Amino acid sequence: MCDQTFVAATFGPCESCGKASPLMNIYIKTEAINFCSFCVELMTCQVLQGGESVASLKRESDNLKKKLEEERGKLNDIELHQVAEKSEVLGAFAIKTRRLLKGHGNKVLCMDWCKDKRRLVSSSQDGKVIVWDAFTLNKEHGVTLPCTWVMACAYAPSGCAVACGGLDNKCSVFPLSLDKNENLNAKKKSVAMHTNYVSGCTFTSSDMQILTSSGDGTCALWDVESGQLLQSFHGHTADVLSLDLAPSETGNTFVSGGSDMKANIWDMRSGQNIQSFETHESDINCVKYYPSGDAFASASDDATCRFFDLRADREVAIYQKDSIIFGASSVDFSLSGRLLFAGYNDYTINVWDVLKGTRVSVLFGHENRVSRLRVSPDGTALCSASWDNTLRIWS
Amino acid sequence: MSGKTCSSSSSSSSVIHAQKLVDQLRVEASMERIKISLTAADLVRYCQDHRRSDPLLTGIAASSNPFKDKKTCVLL
Repeated sequence: MCDQTFVAATFGPCESCGKASPLMNIYIKTEAINFCSFCVELMTCQVLQGGESVASLKRESDNLKKKLEEERGKLNDIELHQVAEKSEVLGAFAIKTRRLLKGHGNKVLCMDWCKDKRRLVSSSQDGKVIVWDAFTLNKEHGVTLPCTWVMACAYAPSGCAVACGGLDNKCSVFPLSLDKNENLNAKKKSVAMHTNYVSGCTFTSSDMQILTSSGDGTCALWDVESGQLLQSFHGHTADVLSLDLAPSETGNTFVSGGSDMKANIWDMRSGQNIQSFETHESDINCVKYYPSGDAFASASDDATCRFFDLRADREVAIYQKDSIIFGASSVDFSLSGRLLFAGYNDYTINVWDVLKGTRVSVLFGHENRVSRLRVSPDGTALCSASWDNTLRIWS
Repeated sequence: MSGKTCSSSSSSSSVIHAQKLVDQLRVEASMERIKISLTAADLVRYCQDHRRSDPLLTGIAASSNPFKDKKTCVLL
């Protein structure tokens, strides 16, 4: 009978220098440290010299945090809805389901529109990825991935490829061909490799690069052709659930939201986290840039959607109601940015007036939670994907 | 292999972690921020400028909306 209560000698990457070598498992104030013997020696020397270093760093970080709060507070001279008082009140909102896309055998987890405004790609829990023509309801392409829970899918800007990823920890790109009989799986190209599930993916301005977010807490930028990692983004302390690219052509920033309740803005070239917003009270499920690129909205499990201004570096609006108690899973703006569509886990879609902070309308129809919604590129329609196995097009 | 306890009050990994946190906060603190009255005005102006080109806001006629079913033609 083997009772494994003793510490086994471990071999692996040292937590300090990163080199793989036999590790000394030591405990400092009940905190387990796994360093190689060289680093343990180094550490004891440093400790004798800089015993105050952690305490002084902590003091400095607390001071900086206070200073940040003060700086942000100084700018809060007026509320967004007060500035928007002069805007006209939105009239009655009349959109309804125009198309019902049936065909998935299980929960639809993600969808994305093509730039041609009529095609869209959707992915579901059973591993199927389908490309639809939204006008005719025709299924143009279908691929079955070997993994289940395909949580992310994206259409390439050229319309010639789709990317998808999920529990397989990878993001794969499939070039779409006009030949219906061609097996798409044959041309599959594995691009991204994460150490946990892929929660979101998007092409950048061209078909050549994709940006992915993962449950391993990082985001990464990949070159499609070579599969090479171009840049990685570290900073989240939990799963990253969503990302969105800044809309402008020259912009090279993106926003990510995660289970650590933070939304971070990243510079794609340097990998640096340039801004961080931590006002949500639960996981952030979805983030989306405002059309002008100066702000973004987020949807969270705390049943609120929030609007953050990038130039003022703070939250400027909260979209919530006492009657809404279920988490919001997805958000998108209408073309002008005046309307915010948010899908919730109570099967509804709420339409918010972004500027005034009031709810304009509620859309009913889905029979299970709304997992993702996207406004079409020309703004004429809204597509919502749901756990009831269908997608609905509202217009 | 037995575990050793260190009597000091700090460890290398938490120093590194604290240093990273301070560096990140320094970067964020150095950002130039603009008052909300100005940025909010810009957001409102953007909405105003683009409201006419927003079909979901202004609504479009059934004839030009590819998703709305057109009324069938009646031949007289």
